[in-house]
Amino acid sequence: MRSSASGRIATGLGLALLAACSTPSAPSAVEEAPASAAAPSAYTIWDPYPQYDGSSEWVRLLEACGTQAGVTVERTGYDTSDLTNKVLLAAQQGNAPDVLIVDNPVVSTLAEAGVLTTTAENKLDVSAVSPNLLGAGQSGGETFGVPIGANTLALYYNKDVLDKAGVDPASVTDWAALTAALEKVTKSGGKGITFSAIGTEEGSFQFLPWFWGSGANLTKLDSPEGVAAVTLWTDWLKKGYAPNSVINNTQTTSWQEFATGEYAFAENGTWQLANAEKAGFPYGVIPIPAKAGGPAPAPTGGEFVSIPVQQDTGRYAASQQLVACLTNGENSLKTTTTLSYIAPTDSVQQQQVAADAKLGVWVEAVKVAKGRTGDDLGTKYPKISEPIWGAVQAALSSSKPPQEAMTEAQTAAASATQ
Amino acid sequence: MRRVKTAIGLALTAVMLFPVYWMVNVSFTRDENMRRSPPHWFPVDGTLEGYRAVLDKQLPYLGTSLVIGLGTVVLTVVVAAPAAYALAKLRPRGGGVLSFLLLIAQMIPGIIMAMGFYAVFLSAGVLNTVPGLIVADSTLAVPFAVLVLTAFMSGLPEELLQAARVDGAGTVRTFWSIVLPLSRNALVTVSLFAFLWAWSDFVFASTLDQGGDHQPITLGIYHYIGHNNQEWNAIMATAVVASIPAAVLLVIAQRYVAAGVTAGAVKD
Amino acid sequence: MRVRLGSGQWAAWAFLAPVVVYLVVFYAYPLYRNVELSLRNYTVRSFVRGDAPFAGFDNYLKVFDDPAFGPALWHTVVFTVVSLVFQFTIGLALALFFVRNFPLSATLRALFLVPWLLPLIVSASTWTWLLNSESGVVNAALGVVGLGPVNWLTSPDWSLWSVTIANIWIGVPFNLVVLYSGLQAIPASVYEAAALDGANRRQRFWRITFPLLRPVSAITLLLGLVYTLKVFDIIWIMTRGGPSGSSTTFATWSYRLGFGNLVPSFGPGAAVGNLLIVAALVFGLVYVRTLHRRVP
Repeated sequence: MRSSASGRIATGLGLALLAACSTPSAPSAVEEAPASAAAPSAYTIWDPYPQYDGSSEWVRLLEACGTQAGVTVERTGYDTSDLTNKVLLAAQQGNAPDVLIVDNPVVSTLAEAGVLTTTAENKLDVSAVSPNLLGAGQSGGETFGVPIGANTLALYYNKDVLDKAGVDPASVTDWAALTAALEKVTKSGGKGITFSAIGTEEGSFQFLPWFWGSGANLTKLDSPEGVAAVTLWTDWLKKGYAPNSVINNTQTTSWQEFATGEYAFAENGTWQLANAEKAGFPYGVIPIPAKAGGPAPAPTGGEFVSIPVQQDTGRYAASQQLVACLTNGENSLKTTTTLSYIAPTDSVQQQQVAADAKLGVWVEAVKVAKGRTGDDLGTKYPKISEPIWGAVQAALSSSKPPQEAMTEAQTAAASATQ
Repeated sequence: MRRVKTAIGLALTAVMLFPVYWMVNVSFTRDENMRRSPPHWFPVDGTLEGYRAVLDKQLPYLGTSLVIGLGTVVLTVVVAAPAAYALAKLRPRGGGVLSFLLLIAQMIPGIIMAMGFYAVFLSAGVLNTVPGLIVADSTLAVPFAVLVLTAFMSGLPEELLQAARVDGAGTVRTFWSIVLPLSRNALVTVSLFAFLWAWSDFVFASTLDQGGDHQPITLGIYHYIGHNNQEWNAIMATAVVASIPAAVLLVIAQRYVAAGVTAGAVKD
Repeated sequence: MRVRLGSGQWAAWAFLAPVVVYLVVFYAYPLYRNVELSLRNYTVRSFVRGDAPFAGFDNYLKVFDDPAFGPALWHTVVFTVVSLVFQFTIGLALALFFVRNFPLSATLRALFLVPWLLPLIVSASTWTWLLNSESGVVNAALGVVGLGPVNWLTSPDWSLWSVTIANIWIGVPFNLVVLYSGLQAIPASVYEAAALDGANRRQRFWRITFPLLRPVSAITLLLGLVYTLKVFDIIWIMTRGGPSGSSTTFATWSYRLGFGNLVPSFGPGAAVGNLLIVAALVFGLVYVRTLHRRVP
């Protein structure tokens, strides 16, 4: 099945099957009709990159891969927060796309819903992928997709602001040094740090490096380490080292604050590199420090490509070719460059660093990053994440003291994950 | 006195439209100035980048939005006007229950409606089509239209309808040549809202037309909502560009809300 | 008499037929679905497969038991009542202001509707922009007159008021336009007669305008109520119902449960949504009863 010739035969077979299904007598024909009426061989791809339109490199890559697999590609970009529900709804109605690209913490949920095929079924090759990235797509010993690229969080800093305050960014290696740096910056008339603590998954994503960097574990939110992480953020707000607006900041808003040139630090992701170049002030990137020193594990971001379950299993062959095309070495470099991501495989990461030395920091950061749904949490993660962002918001807005907020979060998470 | 009123009117409109002005302001703002504290009150050192992005890509969406808006208006009025006439003047048994159902119909969350439509549209083959979206958008307006038109039509003087009946006009004639012309104001109002809802609808468009060849302007905004990053000046520019043609339509339509339609008829 | 009434009934229902068909085709299924969702124990898996077990009123009990229930109920009441009162009074005042024609009045009236042309994601985002605690123009203006910054969206004491203000802003044009057309429908002859009788402006308002505007006012308030109960996008975009649940209403709660999470809980989400439908039902009953009292 792996060779392209047999793949093509399988595609042909799939098309024949599809044609057979399209006769009015078959009950499933009614449901297939709208998707396949225009072009019977069209393969649908859904991705969370609505910012790329038909003329973008990303969509051209998809089309090229379609041509290679001998099918036409019909691609739709959805808003990422919408995509999960769209897929669940489409799967319920037997209208799931052939290829789905989706945010990594959602993969275990969709797998649980029975929407995705395993790599054993769809014959995707994931052997070259770094295990810490693949973890988010695994559950119960099965793998449900291939990471298309990875990103993670680090601290961007503004050299001008730090120079003025007399802070050496290389000295910021633990929490105490960071807080001291923030104090110096504030005293010198600058603004300290901006991040995103909004009441959505984005807020948890940004909080996790501090939570994990403190030594806390997602199964026990109210441990002293967990409370220490919330207290760190809360104290920054109280002392004016971080603006009050972080409580409602998305990662974009937080970046816009940093882009004003007034802030010393911003916690943000790989995808802002291009914007940092445009910012108009010298910047640098350091890993987020752990409490006791050294880089804290940050959560992995980025999407997985997967093949949703179809009634017509003959379609998998061409879908598999499409996914393989998107994730093979050469295209992986193209894809990750287009998306401003770090590649999921060692060999491509090396090519990336060779092409742009600035990516070195990020490659290192991705290597020590942790999947949110890892540690065997899987579908439990979302039910823990919601209490976390709630507790962070409660503490930052002074509704509850950190200890109380985290104790309540632990109770909520425990009862939700039973 | 009239000039003073114009001045007050201008001031009130300015207060009301201040957020809209702010949207325009942001649409011209460079990324690095978006969160400047304190903010610039005017787009000094602005950029046309947002508009360049929009004009390149968004114009076809405007046409689709216009078709969808007008289609929704027609469908809404055709379904709602006769029903409102019946409820207001013909006293159907069970009319109260029907008004009641219309009221409840509006309480169903849009996203649940959208999910229901998805299943129905998929099997009917109208998913990702303009007519499908027109039908979906009209559900935002029809219950509203029936209830509002009923409220207006029940205010029409009974003696007018009596007179028509004496002249030998049937129910349909009365409706067509008396009730409809006299309800012009209400019909314009209802049409306005039907148009506005269809124009600014997001939930139905994103569930039922995201894969379509012809998409409304609200989905055009998605070009600037990336996975991790949103280009706010382009988003705001899209909203500005989208609201200009529609605002012109509004100004024209408002001129048709005339005073004394009923009064004139009674005097005749 | 009975025969004539019968044929009148036929005509009435013939006029109603399109809307009845429309209701059945387009609303029955979603409504059924919302009720069904709330009565079954849905997981993501059973949602896709459609085989969720029947759970009776479990989802409702879960919702009632939730510590978020009390605050959400209170926020819903405050948000709805305050929004309605201000939207209606401001709308009526503006309608009375605009009813006398003056230069530019038609154009200005039309401009009041411009906020409705914007997709809510844009208008609500603009409000977050205005009210941002660090870089918002409202706090900048307060600073100019010497008042300290207010954490409009990030303080639990203010967030509910902020979203209410934004919602009033959104709702005023609706009230203005509907009430304005209501005022236009009042025959000028009635005012002329009253003027002849020597009624002053205040008397004319309370004795003529107000009573004659009652059917339109009632429906405006009722629709306003329904729309306000349903509002979730403004709140969701501005505060996500936070911080710490301080601006969570039933509508945002329902959305958060059903759609605002990585793992949707459709059942409890639909249950909260149905509680809102019941609330609207109660007010609808009140409306229909007062209507019938007026038109015997």
